[in-house]
Amino acid sequence: MATQDKRSDTSDFPEIINTDNLQSNMKSIYYSRTFLSIIGGVIAGIWGFTGFTGFVFYFVVMLAASFGLAAKAKFSADSYFDSWNRVLLDGILGGLMSFVLFWTFAYDIVHIF
Amino acid sequence: MGLGFVVGIIGGFLIAHAAFSTIQYRGELKIMEEQFTGPPFNVVIELLVGLGLCLWAGLAVPTKFLSILPHSDENRVVSLPANLDFMVFNHRGKVLPSNPDLKLKI
Repeated sequence: MATQDKRSDTSDFPEIINTDNLQSNMKSIYYSRTFLSIIGGVIAGIWGFTGFTGFVFYFVVMLAASFGLAAKAKFSADSYFDSWNRVLLDGILGGLMSFVLFWTFAYDIVHIF
Repeated sequence: MGLGFVVGIIGGFLIAHAAFSTIQYRGELKIMEEQFTGPPFNVVIELLVGLGLCLWAGLAVPTKFLSILPHSDENRVVSLPANLDFMVFNHRGKVLPSNPDLKLKI
């Protein structure tokens, strides 16, 4: 079990955390968000969203994903991650590019060709 | 994990079916020379159900979260009785939590 000292100023932060598991958890979040960005993009393309509405749809899907991830972590990020930001915000900007790509694909296939 | 995959594939099929329906719908609109304002109601329902299923699959299929706390039950380090010749005690491991009374979990 590889561990690593992580010191912090807050008193409730554990001094040693299992970084193997932390990395595995972060990978899991990344896979979830990427998959959901792609699915969201395909659905936005089929539905015919153009312009701003599509981006609003993306953030709605990401909001639902954040809620789902928080539920998967049993609403206690401290036992699975080193900060809430990882659960709620990590990967949203990266997924945006995949979303736009598949949104354009699906829109072209369904509405133009 | 198998169930998550199946749910995800069902969600994917629903979305693909919705795509086909929308393409057909657009073809009909072209014949009748009307504008496309949005997919028909049943396609919208299909898309939302597909989204819901894929949301569930996207969260359930990647590996479940593992605890990062050193004191949790899943991260136990059990020390077994060993030869004293190789037991060195003055090392950095002394900051790791360890309970010499822990037994192996069978």
